[in-house]
Amino acid sequence: MGEITVTINGSQLSGSEGMTILEAAQENGIDIPTLCHRPELTPIGACRICVVEVEGSRTLVGSCHTPITQGMVIYTHSPKVLETRKVIVELLLASHCGSCFMCDKANVCELRRIAADLEVGLPRFRVRKRYYPIEDVSPYIVRDLTKCILCRRCVRACNEIKKARVFGIAYRGFDSKVVVDFDQPIDKDVCQDCDVCISFCPTGALSRVKKLGEEKKGKALVISS
Amino acid sequence: MPEKWIVLRNCGVIDPKRITTYLDRDGFKALKKALAEMPPEQIIEEIKVSGLRGRGGAGFPCGLKWELARKAQGDEKYVICNADEGEVGTFKDRYILERDPFTLIEAMAIAGYAIGAKRGYIYLRAEYHHLLDLLGKAISQAREKGFLDHFEIAIHEGAGSYICGEESALMESIEGKRGEVRYRPPFPPSRGLWGKPTIINNVETLMNIPQVILNGAHWFNQIGTERSKGTKVFSVSGDVKKPGVYELVLGSQLRELVMDLALAEKVKIIQVGGATGRIIPYDMIDTPLSFETILGAGAITVFDESRDIIDIVHRTIEFLAEECCGKCAPCREGTEVMAEILERFSCGEGVERDIGVLEELSNAMMLSSLCGLGQAAPNPVVDSLQYFRSAYESRIRKN
Ligand SMILES: Cc1cc2nc3c(=O)[nH]c(=O)nc-3n(C[C@H](O)[C@H](O)[C@H](O)COP(=O)(O)O)c2cc1C
Ligand code: SF4
Ligand code: SF4
Ligand code: FES
Repeated sequence: MGEITVTINGSQLSGSEGMTILEAAQENGIDIPTLCHRPELTPIGACRICVVEVEGSRTLVGSCHTPITQGMVIYTHSPKVLETRKVIVELLLASHCGSCFMCDKANVCELRRIAADLEVGLPRFRVRKRYYPIEDVSPYIVRDLTKCILCRRCVRACNEIKKARVFGIAYRGFDSKVVVDFDQPIDKDVCQDCDVCISFCPTGALSRVKKLGEEKKGKALVISS
Repeated sequence: MPEKWIVLRNCGVIDPKRITTYLDRDGFKALKKALAEMPPEQIIEEIKVSGLRGRGGAGFPCGLKWELARKAQGDEKYVICNADEGEVGTFKDRYILERDPFTLIEAMAIAGYAIGAKRGYIYLRAEYHHLLDLLGKAISQAREKGFLDHFEIAIHEGAGSYICGEESALMESIEGKRGEVRYRPPFPPSRGLWGKPTIINNVETLMNIPQVILNGAHWFNQIGTERSKGTKVFSVSGDVKKPGVYELVLGSQLRELVMDLALAEKVKIIQVGGATGRIIPYDMIDTPLSFETILGAGAITVFDESRDIIDIVHRTIEFLAEECCGKCAPCREGTEVMAEILERFSCGEGVERDIGVLEELSNAMMLSSLCGLGQAAPNPVVDSLQYFRSAYESRIRKN
């Protein structure tokens, strides 16, 4: 594997061939926010939170899936990058149900943490909210897709780690939805109790049945970085 | 600059059901010449020198794309003809396919030989189902005549999605998956259909190939402007007396096309390049049509003084929100937000702050969306805010 030199935020750094911009940055202690990406899963480039500025590129590029190339000049926190990330988070919050106070995962929610880090306030967009009935027929898992941000981590975790292929994506655009079969509530016939997807969900959309409320116990509700 | 027929030279002249009528018009001579006299590298060099650029909207240099695929490692390679023609207001590929399927087949066979592919696909728009039979028969006739011994062509029908015209979603669709965009790199010439090196070209791009091979790159290179060589086929529709398909030398004036050929009157707004294209006011009708200025896939939609700009932009964004694949957040959420804001403006319920919000949102979507749809979706909003800002301002709700 060859060595590749890149410049990130003005410093010359080296990485190895095949490494993504995100990996190269992380290896050098530079923190780039991510939502849809997890190192255990194949990247999909869906949330766009991880975008960075690369000299010579017309648009920003997704750092979780773009490999570094020799001489690449990268800015991970330029004003353009930060403004764009803020708008994306604002968009995700705008259609989100918004009841963090009622959410059992509020303290561990990654969307909430990123929103706090980027200092995103109340969204200015008046878009409709996604409301779906809570799916609680399974003895193992509760799905509250009203809180889903369509990062598809559950889909990939199930496909790639458990290899059970329980989830799929249906509908288009704003109506896209993580579904089971032909959009049926998840039940014990399709999903055994493995918990893999739950541990990958960045929001309160997926949770365990009996342990609901666990995360919140004894902790104050704070928004922190 | 004049009308000129390179792409449409056989349209209305040959019988699309009979290969012999095509053979009488130098049909398959370019393929014979390529196979007999030109090594693949020379064909690619010729296309590169010709300056031919993609006609599907992005204008990527055709020869360079082929060269990348030729040089890429792969036991299999593929040629795809993009006949999805989903862009709003385009119908030139249909016009071509209906009248001259043979030139396309010849071009694909040349492309296959040039990049080292044995198989090609025509991805046919679902609504063009009526062309399946004609295209299938044209392919069989070419096979019977022995022109496709080195290359096999299959037709793959779309299922009615705009995003499946986008090259990576199109390949997902051929693979039998949900029509969604892939991130790039890797680009199709290195990893495309089923992970193999693939070139994907628009119908019109390919239609130029046989003529370039027969007449030479320098002949083609003489036509057009500095960075836009050859002709462009335009689909003109809307408030014009003579809507239809016109082929003009690149660099021709928009005025010539819209006013002199299509006979428009009292023009107010022109949308060039369909839903993701640019919107310009009548004042700019002297703009030349080229890759350097405005072009897209050549959809020209004309709106006269009776039309309302907000209405046009609102409908355009509603279309894009509907057709967005839903994979990436900025486009999936952003198009919906834009549609909500524009809907309010269209009924006089705009809010002062909305204009700034639209601008900020446009910027973020252009910079961060995963594919061309989300990146270009703000175009109609940005352009109308630039040229027709007062229309927005007059729709702000007065308390
Ligand atoms: C949303 C979207 C829709 C597209 N639709 C089409 C289409 O219908 N036909 C087409 O030829 N290219 C379409 N394209 C462009 C293709 O992605 C690709 O660039 C083109 O087929 C390449 O061929 P060319 O280089 O010959 O133009 C579309 C692109 C986007 C982003
Ligand atoms: S349910 Fe959770 S993991 Fe799955 S897509 Fe939604 S937010 Fe992501
Ligand atoms: S920009 Fe829109 S159409 Fe393109 S990948 Fe993102 S959601 Fe899909
Ligand atoms: S983390 Fe890279 S696109 Fe989501």
